[in-house]
Amino acid sequence: MMKNRITYLRVLLVIALVALALGTLIAQEKMTKDQWQADMAAAGAKRTDLNAQLTKLTADMTALKTQSDKLDADLRACEDALYAMLGVTRAEVEAFDKELGDMESRVGELQRMSDAELLNHRDEIERMNTRLGEMSKSKIAMIPRYGQRVQSLHEKVTALMGSISKEKSYTVGTWARNRDCLWNIARKKDIYANPWMWPKIWQGNRDKIKDPDVIKPKWVLKIPEGKELSKSEKAAANSYYRKKASAPEGN
Amino acid sequence: MNRLQKSVLTALCLAGSLLLASCSSSPSEEEMKALNDLKAEVSALESKVATMQRDKAGLEKQIAEKNGKLQQCQSDQEAVKKGLAK
Repeated sequence: MMKNRITYLRVLLVIALVALALGTLIAQEKMTKDQWQADMAAAGAKRTDLNAQLTKLTADMTALKTQSDKLDADLRACEDALYAMLGVTRAEVEAFDKELGDMESRVGELQRMSDAELLNHRDEIERMNTRLGEMSKSKIAMIPRYGQRVQSLHEKVTALMGSISKEKSYTVGTWARNRDCLWNIARKKDIYANPWMWPKIWQGNRDKIKDPDVIKPKWVLKIPEGKELSKSEKAAANSYYRKKASAPEGN
Repeated sequence: MNRLQKSVLTALCLAGSLLLASCSSSPSEEEMKALNDLKAEVSALESKVATMQRDKAGLEKQIAEKNGKLQQCQSDQEAVKKGLAK
């Protein structure tokens, strides 16, 4: 009996100790009133500070917007006065600016092309060169920022013109003396060193050569750059060979 | 009351008083809600201030650019005047 009571009391003691430990833990996890008060005070102070910052920022933004609007008006007035001096309209200046911008991006594309590719854009480059010459004489080009852009672009186009004119040429001699035909010209070491390249000369000189079997002395033929025939040159050559094959003998 | 009983009673009293003490010093639910609301308000204000600071920086940049354009225009005017006078 006595032994049971002792065991019962021991169990109660253990429970009491566990309850004590748990109580301490819970008390540690829970916020105390003092902590709450400190947190409330800190958050309240931060809110006050942030509200003050917000008020100042709002005032700053209003002032900056006013300044920005005034600058817009001043800039417009300055540009109007500038255009009036030159006797041009804003629309004309904007059109000039757009044309220049378009040309700048196109010249950028052309500058990335090889000399051989550039040859296909000869007309476009020449047109640009002429147009830039006209633009440089325009009143709008008196405005330094446009004048400088036109000049810089003109220099780039001039360089492109230089790349095109680097193209080789060949002056046709006589058959009797030079044995010049497209096949023999293409075979020359300083031309292509490959007779099968003759269609390239033909296609590069379509303005002169109507029939590849006929070239005339003193013609100055362009020698397009490249080591291989393009698709169109191969197609032209194949068409020529088929035509020859189907023609009656003697032709 | 024997020795063992006394010690058990003491331990129980101690645990009980500690538990009571820890419970009675905690903030109420309303107080905790007030603190959480205040923290949320502070967080929203911080975000608003950060946005406005970014907007302000953007506007300052725009103003600097416009100032540059205005100066450029004024210098263009001078150059055109000189060009026309030739």
